[in-house]
Amino acid sequence: MSASRPLLEVEGVSASWGRTEVVRRVSFQVAPGETLTLLGPNGSGKTTLLRVIAGFEPPTAGTVRLEGLDLARVPPHRRSIGLLFQEPALFPHRSVLENIAYAPLLQRRSPGEIRSLVQQLSALLSLDRLLDRSPEHLSGGEQQRVALARTLAARPKLVLLDEPFASVDVQVRAGLLAEFRTALREFGAAAIHVTHDREEGLFLGDRLALIFDGTLVAVGSPAEVFARPDSDRTARFLGYNLLPGPDGLVAVLPDDLIARVPSGNDRTYTVRASGPVGRRFLTVLEGADGDRVELRSDSPLSVGSTMALSWARGVPLREASGGSSPVEPKCLTAMRAS
Amino acid sequence: MRRVPTEVVLLAAVVAVVGAFAVLPAGELFARSVGDAGGARAISGVLADPVTRRTFSNSLLQGGLSAACAVAVGYPAGVFAGRYRWWGRETVRAALLLPFLLPSLVMVLGVLDLFGPSGLLGSPVPTVRWFSSGVPGVVAVNLFYNVPIVVVLTATGCEASSSALEESVASLGGSPARAYLESWARPSWVGAGCGALLTFVFSALSFAPPILLCGSRCTTVEVRVYELAEVFGEPATAGVLALVLVLAFLVPALVYVLLVRRLRPARGRTSFARPPPWDAATTWALAAVFVAVVAAELALVLAVVFRSIVAVGGGPVGRGWALLGSPSTATRLGISVGGAVGNTLFFASLAAGIGIVLATATSFVTARRPQVATALGVVLFVPVLLSPVVLAQALATFWKPIVGGATNIWVLIVLSQALLGLPFAVQSLEIPLAGLPRAGAESAETLGASSWGAYVDAELPRVRRGIQTAVLFAFALGLGEFTATNFLVTPRFVTLPVAVYTLTDARLFAAAGAAAALLLLLSLIVFALIVASGVDERE
Repeated sequence: MSASRPLLEVEGVSASWGRTEVVRRVSFQVAPGETLTLLGPNGSGKTTLLRVIAGFEPPTAGTVRLEGLDLARVPPHRRSIGLLFQEPALFPHRSVLENIAYAPLLQRRSPGEIRSLVQQLSALLSLDRLLDRSPEHLSGGEQQRVALARTLAARPKLVLLDEPFASVDVQVRAGLLAEFRTALREFGAAAIHVTHDREEGLFLGDRLALIFDGTLVAVGSPAEVFARPDSDRTARFLGYNLLPGPDGLVAVLPDDLIARVPSGNDRTYTVRASGPVGRRFLTVLEGADGDRVELRSDSPLSVGSTMALSWARGVPLREASGGSSPVEPKCLTAMRAS
Repeated sequence: MRRVPTEVVLLAAVVAVVGAFAVLPAGELFARSVGDAGGARAISGVLADPVTRRTFSNSLLQGGLSAACAVAVGYPAGVFAGRYRWWGRETVRAALLLPFLLPSLVMVLGVLDLFGPSGLLGSPVPTVRWFSSGVPGVVAVNLFYNVPIVVVLTATGCEASSSALEESVASLGGSPARAYLESWARPSWVGAGCGALLTFVFSALSFAPPILLCGSRCTTVEVRVYELAEVFGEPATAGVLALVLVLAFLVPALVYVLLVRRLRPARGRTSFARPPPWDAATTWALAAVFVAVVAAELALVLAVVFRSIVAVGGGPVGRGWALLGSPSTATRLGISVGGAVGNTLFFASLAAGIGIVLATATSFVTARRPQVATALGVVLFVPVLLSPVVLAQALATFWKPIVGGATNIWVLIVLSQALLGLPFAVQSLEIPLAGLPRAGAESAETLGASSWGAYVDAELPRVRRGIQTAVLFAFALGLGEFTATNFLVTPRFVTLPVAVYTLTDARLFAAAGAAAALLLLLSLIVFALIVASGVDERE
């Protein structure tokens, strides 16, 4: 994170649904213009955390500050925080243009300013030809682009993206991700992007925060978090295999595994399935104790054969989380210290 | 041979029941009445009659005033009930339906017990006696009866709005007022509009309140039809007037049917109740109106119970109850009070049984064939549109000889009760069903379940509260149904509401009060049983 003053400071925030605590003492910061991705499985508290920041849910503890201002008593519409949902929630009775111009009109901007803003956003998000259309006649991807344009037109200081690509076709998702990334940077808007999709999270974020059971377990650059999983749970979620090494568990990516003919006391695995995934082959192997391992290779392995595994690169794991350890991640401690 | 889909079979069955016991007898009644009264000229003749014109203007005045006042009070209370989460919310909301389910006769007695010259409020505060007679009295009864339904429908409308849209407006900088306009004003007013139309129709066609509180100067069209048929011995004129009545109220009834279909949850996330923002003055104002509505309804119910114990003008405590159980009352009613209670429960149970079977079938049809939903809604609303008196008159003329005359008249009483409660039972089931994702039923179908099997296994278990509400509606409307039952009944089949009316008409107010309290207690027991069985599902 940059050394400048943070735009958003979330400190010790907890939130509950009824009696169940779904967000537990979460702390992080977002710098101006930065995109932070909150990555975690379903039910990990990501959306609730976002709703607390947006002001739609009250925190049970902790503070949320935007540019140093405590938002506790600031209603959602005065926070200058935009929110994009999984469903685009466009105004069905307004055209695309009217949807985009909605917030600038509320802000009483001049007609010229509104026109240029709409032009800029529609060019940026390829909406030029859709301006007169009704939102109901747009595809899912187009609707999400309009929703982002509408949000950015409000000139928010922070944009919260709550799995906005979840209901979009896979074919258009990558293009949409790129457009969102460009648009957010072009507008200099900071963003928190919530997703359970690993690739989406790694692609869109300047920094990545992993959240499990309402607790942040890692924060850092996507490459950093991805390269150094610090628990078996984090490693599994990031797509690593967990294999026994000489000093404990080792996290190994499917591409870094090598299958070979077993010898001596090698631990063996049985090939359960093997098939092409693009130009390479994905193989699923099963160990004697039932643990499954995925391997990507240039050629398929024969189903039923017994193999031993070695790896070119692996990350030794220092901690086995067991699932819900509220231990504060080291990178967060370091971030606080800085 | 190609198999006919289940929904088509059920659609045909539902239409056949309503057709056979409402449309066909009413059509025959209208055709015969117009023929006997001299053809099409009979209609203009009836419309030219100054008494009829007065009854129409009375109906419009009472209906319009009642609807406007019911919305003015019920809308803010409904917003508080629909948008905010507070302790006991579900139970209080369910309890609010209770007055709507009671016969209007009990409401009349309640208004007299509260605001009348000897009433609990009217006695110490003479100015409130204004609400115990004349048009203000009739409107007061209509309000006690209908405000709860406006509250509940407005709350349902609030809950049907898209919370994602509302939150989008807020995150774009729109104020709460702007979020209201863009997101939940429309569905909440659809709910209130439905409530207003129901209030208008029920009030314009009310029977007991104008007769008992205002006399002949406030007579509604419904009363006039009854008088012509039963008092003046002019069934043909009564039939023609009934036809005019149906035509006149067709438009508001159709608008209601179309509007209520829009009271469905929006796609995606819908509004969920949140804690009230007590720092806003609006919240306090909404809460105050809601509390006032609940307090007024509670006061009315308590006044009825109190007056059944402590009679007007003194006398021993519980004199009303003693009188109700006396042989003289049984002689006057033609049946003992125990017999009347037995009849009431028996008819209401059968009506609820028929109602829930038809409602389940109808909801299945509308879930699978949404394109017929509006037309089916109109068909189901026909008995209500006909009004209880016309429905009863038509059933008596067409079906009484077929079912075996007075001996089996109870069959027609049960059918009339079931048909009059059917549209409300169907709505109680359809609204929660519309909010379910189709994925559940589709999964069951891909696993081999038939369309009906998927409905029963995957959808009905998820709307248990809707089913309970539908049963409550069907049973309680049967329990409190007075107008049609009174038209059809013979002494052997007298029900409690008919007993209340007969005793009131005979000026035996103490015994009538006890009968009304008994009816109220029966409704409360049913209500408590249903609420208790639904407790585990509320959270």
